[in-house]
Amino acid sequence: MASNGYMGQILKVDLTSGTFETIDTADYESWGGGHGIGSAIFFDLCEDKTVPGTDPKNVVTIMTSPLSGTLAPSVSGRTEVQAIGIQAYPIGWYTRSNFGGRFSTQLKAAGWDGIVLLGKSEKKVWLNIVNGEVKLEDAEDLWGLDTRETQEEIWAAVEPSKAGAGWVNLGQSRDAGRTTQRPAVLTIGPNAEKFGPMAALIHDAGNGAGQGGFGGVFASKNLKAVSVLGSGGVEIADPNALMEARLWANEYAFGGHHDDPAQYVGLTAFGSSPGRPLSTIQDSPAGTKSRPQGCVGCIRNCRGRTDTGRGNESQCVDFFWYDHHDVNAHGYVTEATPRAADAIQLAGVNAFAVEAATLWIERLHTQGIMGKGLEIHSDLPFERFGSAEWAEAFVNAIITQTDIGAELCKGVAQAAEAWGRLEQDTASGILPLQEYGLPHHYDARTEVEWGYGSLLGERDINEHDFNWHVYWTPTINGLFGLEPPVSAERLAEIFTKKMAPFNDPMAIDYSDEGIYSDSMAKTLAWHRYYTRFYKQSMLFCDWAWADMVNPYGPDHEGMTGEGEIKFMNAVTGNSMTFEEGIELGRRIWNLDRAIWVLQGRHRDVEKFAEYIYTTGAQPGTTTYEAPYTMPVYEDGKWSYKSVAGRILDRDKFEDFKTRYYTLEGWDPESGWPTRETLEALDLGNVADELEKAGKLGASA
Amino acid sequence: MADIDRKNPEQSQDSGFSRRQFVTGVGGAGLGLALGGFLVKGFLLPREVFAIPASQGYLLVDTKKCAGCASCMMACSLTHHGKTSQALSRIQITQDPFGRFPNDIQLSQCRQCPFPSCVDACPTGAMHADEKTGVRTVDESKCIGCERCVNACPFTPSRALWNFEEKHAQKCDLCEGATFWDQAGGPDGKRACEEVCPMGAIQFTDVLPEQTSTGYEKDMRTGTAWDTLGFGGAPVSLGHLG
Repeated sequence: MASNGYMGQILKVDLTSGTFETIDTADYESWGGGHGIGSAIFFDLCEDKTVPGTDPKNVVTIMTSPLSGTLAPSVSGRTEVQAIGIQAYPIGWYTRSNFGGRFSTQLKAAGWDGIVLLGKSEKKVWLNIVNGEVKLEDAEDLWGLDTRETQEEIWAAVEPSKAGAGWVNLGQSRDAGRTTQRPAVLTIGPNAEKFGPMAALIHDAGNGAGQGGFGGVFASKNLKAVSVLGSGGVEIADPNALMEARLWANEYAFGGHHDDPAQYVGLTAFGSSPGRPLSTIQDSPAGTKSRPQGCVGCIRNCRGRTDTGRGNESQCVDFFWYDHHDVNAHGYVTEATPRAADAIQLAGVNAFAVEAATLWIERLHTQGIMGKGLEIHSDLPFERFGSAEWAEAFVNAIITQTDIGAELCKGVAQAAEAWGRLEQDTASGILPLQEYGLPHHYDARTEVEWGYGSLLGERDINEHDFNWHVYWTPTINGLFGLEPPVSAERLAEIFTKKMAPFNDPMAIDYSDEGIYSDSMAKTLAWHRYYTRFYKQSMLFCDWAWADMVNPYGPDHEGMTGEGEIKFMNAVTGNSMTFEEGIELGRRIWNLDRAIWVLQGRHRDVEKFAEYIYTTGAQPGTTTYEAPYTMPVYEDGKWSYKSVAGRILDRDKFEDFKTRYYTLEGWDPESGWPTRETLEALDLGNVADELEKAGKLGASA
Repeated sequence: MADIDRKNPEQSQDSGFSRRQFVTGVGGAGLGLALGGFLVKGFLLPREVFAIPASQGYLLVDTKKCAGCASCMMACSLTHHGKTSQALSRIQITQDPFGRFPNDIQLSQCRQCPFPSCVDACPTGAMHADEKTGVRTVDESKCIGCERCVNACPFTPSRALWNFEEKHAQKCDLCEGATFWDQAGGPDGKRACEEVCPMGAIQFTDVLPEQTSTGYEKDMRTGTAWDTLGFGGAPVSLGHLG
């Protein structure tokens, strides 16, 4: 039975037997939603957490939050996916990815808080959910289709009468529910089992859960797609409070300032204008007309749809994996960029993986190592590198396992290993795989909260809570010779205030000393807790939250600390505090840590690729860094300073790890959680399982 | 909304509007029929008098500005029903994620028609014009669930909809019945969809729009800050490094 924010039940699908059960959401509500519930269910249902991600014993969770399908701004449309992944190398960590669009809204409208996938289907199937009716349908004819073809086939199969765009009855009775909406489909690309570590889950035109190789995990279960369509609603504890909170938040957004939007030099989150940043407008050829487009309930509406239909809903790295190659070849953005974006969306390929691979491949070609008749033979049209034809041929090679795709289909690190280049190219840094064979995104030597968080976690964190403000905004202003709109001192003040319960005044000191400080250890911990709960469990979107700095806020202060809780409590009727959410994030973080420990995590494996310790972070050497101008506290005052060229000191970083583990209450020798820490978080059962595996941290 | 969206252009001509007469409170509101350049066939149809007060308010939209976020839909159901439900929303957005702008999104709001087929079709008077404001709305206590209003609406999807949970018809009332919101609704109050739209793509007007395919569409972009945002076609781009 539905309660405030929750639908009350989670669908459990045993693909092996083809049977369905329900899990009472109430049994897991103490975890909040999304990732928290997903990890808790995974821990309970995955009998052997050490199996590879393609093993039928792997358990996949697809979770919403109590805020999904509500009016909470830039929260409502996201869905969290978790399972043992197959992208990280050599160990495929238990990991996560989430995606936007309409899926979470339709799943809750159908009456479900989430889906749990167990086992492996004997035949190729897709999962069809229409309100309470659930079926496994034959997917033999869909298996080789791309993501658009698959979705259009499923739309037609679920609601053939939808062609009229009117109201459709979802059952025989007129009271079975009606909708005007299309089914929301989450699908894999063609034959994704053959390029599993590179394979993403795609929904609509441009929503993807790209990290982890979950497309390959779906395929290993013989599952092509999940389709959901519903006609229900989400009960709200205090509708008036939710409505008023939304209108309050509008004053922090473009929506409250149509006539006079902020002229903010830099990047920001909640307060960005629509279609920004890093979206369709700048990554389409000149003259392309478009509209902003958003996920359900969004206040930002960051993506776009175009008059060519190309690049629809793509965003950021969906374009970036290729746009600079396009510009280098042509001098400006051509149709190659949106076509490259569409190529990966239709194939269901992870954008970050092809981004890193393309940078590396270009260098191998330039150095005379890869190409026709060279050490690594390739018939790809390198003479047309930067064109749409090259991008499409490259993606096609991966999904057909031809040319260099015969190795890249197994993953980027795996291909480097096969070509005998993994060690040397990650030492030099021409192959930008920063940790666990995963693509370098933001830099561990300079913007350390990003790099440390990725290493101490299991994937590139892809969380911009600090990034917009500590890196992009000062860097962009520095490039233009401008003073950033927020001084380094004021920035430190804002972050200190927001980061309860630590509230450390040195939280964003990215100086050569600061990056190894106890303050930075707290920053790392706070960020892990904040994102594990608010962004991955309650599903506040990374492109809008945390709202730290906001051009419309009082003296540039954003809503974080107040905003998240305002929406959550209006929906659930609870009276949770912000700090309680942070503490719940710590609980989830520790549960995840325990799963990684069972898989083989130890402080000895928590090391970056060699180039992080030996090669300076220079603009353009890895992905898309500019000069890395960041806040530092030096000589008794705050300022912005370029920290480009910095390498990470191995000994200092090892010492930092020791202090971080100690802060977390983990055994500094192993990095494993202790019984004392776990029991204090009401995770005694987790401690028991670690002890059984001989992997419980020693208490101090 | 294009004319081609009309379910059956011939329907109103043949449906015998004159079976029912609505002559109530015309007064200062004036005859809806007489306003806004209503289609000529509307004048020619009735064999008997059919007149109800014009609504004192209408919603205009800018479909090209709409981002498809459906916030309006959820605000509508939230303020009227205490839950967020796209299926119970009286404003509907449908879209094709693979479509080409501007035809990828349809924004379907009630027109508060001056000659409302839904009101005419109702056999009990449940679907009626509010005495004070002229807003076309439903007296749920009188609704017998025949769905004639749903079928009579000439637009797709029908702006009158069947509330399959509470078992009655409903439609946009300009938030006169938004009982889960403390703000007063109606022509003199606030409309939830208009208030929450983050794009500013919905606007209230008290002037009866021209009764044409584009009469309820308004360009809310040109001449505003929107012109600077690049949606009209950015000049040469250098991509993310540019």
